[in-house]
Amino acid sequence: MTYIFIILYAITLIYFALSERVKKFIWLLTIQGAILFGIVFFSLNEIEIFDFVFILVETILIKSIVVPRFLNRVRKHNNLKREQEIFVPVFYSIIIVVVFITLSFLLSNSLNNDQIHTKYFTVAFASVLFGIYFIIIHKNIFSHVVGYVIIENGIFLLSLAVGSVMPLMVNMAILLDLVMGVLVLGVFVNRIGDTFDSTETHQLSKLKD
Amino acid sequence: MISLLLILIAAVFFIGIVIKVKAKIAARKMPSVLQPVYDVIRLFRKGAIYSTTTSILFRVAPLIYFATIATAMLFIPVGSQKSILSFQGDFVFFAYLLAFGKFMMIVAAMDTGSGFEGMGANREALYSMLVEPAFFILMGSQALFTGYVSFQDLFFHLHLSSQLSYIIGLASIYVFVYIAMVENSRMPVDDPKTHLELTMVHEVMVLDNSGFDLALIHIGTWLKFSIYGTLISGFVIQNSWSWYWQVATFFGIMAAFAAAVGLLEAFRARNKMEKNPQWILMLSAIAVVIFLTVLIITQKIILN
Repeated sequence: MTYIFIILYAITLIYFALSERVKKFIWLLTIQGAILFGIVFFSLNEIEIFDFVFILVETILIKSIVVPRFLNRVRKHNNLKREQEIFVPVFYSIIIVVVFITLSFLLSNSLNNDQIHTKYFTVAFASVLFGIYFIIIHKNIFSHVVGYVIIENGIFLLSLAVGSVMPLMVNMAILLDLVMGVLVLGVFVNRIGDTFDSTETHQLSKLKD
Repeated sequence: MISLLLILIAAVFFIGIVIKVKAKIAARKMPSVLQPVYDVIRLFRKGAIYSTTTSILFRVAPLIYFATIATAMLFIPVGSQKSILSFQGDFVFFAYLLAFGKFMMIVAAMDTGSGFEGMGANREALYSMLVEPAFFILMGSQALFTGYVSFQDLFFHLHLSSQLSYIIGLASIYVFVYIAMVENSRMPVDDPKTHLELTMVHEVMVLDNSGFDLALIHIGTWLKFSIYGTLISGFVIQNSWSWYWQVATFFGIMAAFAAAVGLLEAFRARNKMEKNPQWILMLSAIAVVIFLTVLIITQKIILN
């Protein structure tokens, strides 16, 4: 069952490369949050009530409700509709995301280590790589926040890959990092949008003391 | 023989159901389900008119187009009913047979010397080229999954039993539906009801065809839809089912596919022309993910 969610996660990465609407990015992040819950839920062998509540809060509540809602408010505040400034055409982005996914699947295959759960590693590595790529190709700061959340989702999966049990402290730290990161960046995007009437990164070079 | 008969029956009603669904959604009076058949009979009665700039190529192209599709139809099995022709690797032959028919139509469109038709031919060639990897990766994945390389053996031995194989089935159906839409020049890629030549793909290509030739092209479209619908039904129908249950499922899937095409055309806007290539490439990307899934199932990629 875990594999189904892993494959679905890989398909969401392809849709991230394909879509150009800001609204669709947020929608895809919501789906990714739900998929992460599915991955964790079906991979835990024996579940304790505290762990279950924590995972539920982390994936469904934070990743799939709070963060997308907050990003949606930022989108409305700055009147963002469509990502027009992309450095790389979408056609090549799709090829690149397929290369990322294939590469990380093959890499997982060659990692013959009992300590690592390679099935999570497949999409985790692809997600981190794609998040970085997503940030590089977009000029808009809002999309950088989305890319950051994609990387965080990848790191969440990596934490599953390396630990046989959920390391609680690590997860708490990631969660704190994510919420603070998105909050601070969201406020930052709003301020930039108010000051310059645009959220493109080249505006930042005009900033002075 | 029975599979051929079933495909033909489905083809006759397919476009009728599509236009019925579209009319219902637009709150128009629904035409008869046989309306496309009446239209084609009317076209058959008319004589064809040929432009003086065209050569023999233009006259034979619709015939060859129809013949290739009719031949391709012979390779498709329905459930446990055998196809008429079958050999090792026939899906490659099937794909290039359809491509050959399309090539003839493209050449015929160029033959007319019209700028518009050249433009349409150009687009059709590009989209067909882009959708080809998706078809081959998908069929290659199924061949790897089952261990057989002909349509008949492949669908006969395709047992979706484990949870991971269901996702292969679902994703394959999704990709096949859209491959059918691209191959038939339907909604997300091309709008068959558009009035402007500049935004047409397939319709502008057959602008000069009339009467008998146009009727053959229309029937070709029905058959193509029916062929792809049968391929989709191959992922659902299991050989262990009794024959009447298989036939009922086959017609059910055909009706559902036709209704899905009607719904897609009624509710979805056509993609921008420049967005089409990337959208079609997405199908290949999903096909690659299906391929990776098959590698996991067949233990070619070992994960723990």
